[in-house]
Amino acid sequence: MLVDFNFRIIFEYLPLFLNGLKSTFLISIISIALALVTGIIACACRISDIKTLRYPAIAYIEIIRSTPLLVQIYFLYFGLPTLGLRVPEIQTGIIALMLNSGAYIAEIIRAGITSVDQGQLEAGTASGLNYFQRMRFIILPQALGVTIPPLLGQNIVLVKDSALLSLISVMELTRCGQTMTSERFMPAEAFFTVAFFYMCIYFCLKALADWSQRKLIFREAY
Amino acid sequence: MIEFKNVNKWFGKLHVLNNINLKIPKGEVLVICGPSGSGKSTLIRCINRLEKIQKGEIIVNNTPVHDKLSNLTKLRAQIGFVFQQFHLYPHMTVLQNVMLAPVNVKQLDKKEAEKIAREKLEQVGLTEKSGAHPAQLSGGQQQRVAIARGLAMSPEIMLFDEPTSALDPEMIGEVLDVMVNLVSEGMTMCVVTHEMGFAKKVAHRVLFMDDGKIVETGTPVDFFDNPKTDRAAEFISKILTH
Amino acid sequence: MMGFYFSRLVEIYPFFLKGLWMTSKIAFISLVTCTLLGFILGIFRSSNNIILKRIVGVYVAFVRGTPFVVQIFIVFFILPEWGIQLDAFPAALLAMAIMGSAFICEIVAGGIDSISRGQWEAAASSGLTLIQQLRLVIVPQAMKVILPPLVGQYVLLIKDTSVVSVIGVMELTRVGWVTVVRIPEGLMVFSLVGALYFSISYPLILLSNYLERKMAVQ
Repeated sequence: MLVDFNFRIIFEYLPLFLNGLKSTFLISIISIALALVTGIIACACRISDIKTLRYPAIAYIEIIRSTPLLVQIYFLYFGLPTLGLRVPEIQTGIIALMLNSGAYIAEIIRAGITSVDQGQLEAGTASGLNYFQRMRFIILPQALGVTIPPLLGQNIVLVKDSALLSLISVMELTRCGQTMTSERFMPAEAFFTVAFFYMCIYFCLKALADWSQRKLIFREAY
Repeated sequence: MIEFKNVNKWFGKLHVLNNINLKIPKGEVLVICGPSGSGKSTLIRCINRLEKIQKGEIIVNNTPVHDKLSNLTKLRAQIGFVFQQFHLYPHMTVLQNVMLAPVNVKQLDKKEAEKIAREKLEQVGLTEKSGAHPAQLSGGQQQRVAIARGLAMSPEIMLFDEPTSALDPEMIGEVLDVMVNLVSEGMTMCVVTHEMGFAKKVAHRVLFMDDGKIVETGTPVDFFDNPKTDRAAEFISKILTH
Repeated sequence: MMGFYFSRLVEIYPFFLKGLWMTSKIAFISLVTCTLLGFILGIFRSSNNIILKRIVGVYVAFVRGTPFVVQIFIVFFILPEWGIQLDAFPAALLAMAIMGSAFICEIVAGGIDSISRGQWEAAASSGLTLIQQLRLVIVPQAMKVILPPLVGQYVLLIKDTSVVSVIGVMELTRVGWVTVVRIPEGLMVFSLVGALYFSISYPLILLSNYLERKMAVQ
């Protein structure tokens, strides 16, 4: 089966793959950063007492979680032009990833915040701290330990999700595989190489996630 | 009935069973005691192969326990085991707990198994709890159900691994009473315990272990009143003073 | 303008329902195969046999470490090179089965690992065989831990069926993709697609939340 595996072709296409890998990195980093901001804002709205903030946030999160990412990507890719917006594919893709991961991050942060003992909030209110101060000094530092491992997990998910951007012609890692397949009719070499690169990223991120899990478990022990 | 021949077991570098040679004839009630880490639980767990041995042989009713070709299921059906933590099945009622093995191992008819289960529950004094779940029972009651569960298979040997160590003091008596009644029926029993009163009352022989070795054996009278070794004497004095 | 396209959309609606039906078929078959396979793999993964554990571990790592779309390409394009010719629909089912069973394997293994060793020992001591131990004692107890995340995984699998559109299976997402070429109202078309997915997924999400709360109380 793999006897005819043509390594030379892979070396020939290596620059392309490395370019794609670089794109995937950039897309992922930008998207996760934006998603974090989105998630924090959405979470703040989600747990706020103001109904005009909370209901839209709930709607946003539930819609994102109940619909496939690919549909969300196509929604933006085919929908934005109808609104008269000409957005380059890569930015469309980043927005889609940002909105998608943002919803999941909002729920992760919410779970982290509710895991902090409510009595501490009362103590903070009693000493006269306002909402932002309570968040900043009491809740967020403690919520961090519970939140970081799942956040790193969502990071891994996002890197894999970025592969769907290949379907809207974004030149990232998976698209390189498609390009090589259409040019040379060698899908095995193309996609196994692509899979190999993704697995490298996965193991690095997983090691980071496992390390953070170990380090933070000690913090929770008190 | 049960024979240990040059049995040795290691946990990594730790020599937990050191050249154990032991014969337990049919109908004998053997009590094994010793400090923690002495290997007494390990010894009893090797009899029904909950633990494996690296050297030597254990033979139960002419069947080698640690032989790959032995029918482990058939062997275990002849041996009842009672755990320190009871380990009743929480998702089943008391009656179902006791019936499980007779139905599935001995392939008994459900009605027949139920009859036997109710008999055993009556024997341990818990007929009225047959429809309850383990979580609704006290520790002493759970352990008595565990004994009934072991007896339901009509075993030839009953093994007890510190059956009362996890119980509140006021419940120890009810479990020991059940065990004393078993003795009077002629059951071969091997009991790891610190309950010296029980040993003095019904045991035929006491085994003292330390550091993986059998240090001393004897009848209860001989052992408790005239221990031959210093270690045994030290152990006895420590147990009896609290 | 919007009215004109809306009436076009109404006439296209049956096409969407066909796509929804295809999605449901793929989802249902995949849920069944992934659950069966996932349970078997999960039992292997939590077994004492180190070789079995490792082999399943490698398989799971590969599935979790690569994007599903890449796995679909591998199944659809590479298997023919090895002599296995598959149409799009069976290829989609195969890819879903491979992917879903890996995730369910981890959920099941986690559930089985959560059962205390004493339960295994008590069951074994009565003479029950390994399969009897699993069937009568271990798995029934593990189900409490397994059920909530399992239902959550079902929601993910339903959403993942959208990715099989890349090999041409005419399920809901592909219907949208094909439609938007003829009716370039992207927002409307994919809002409809999204709404249809929502109608299947959201009830399951509510079920998963309910199960999580119920199991936590116990």
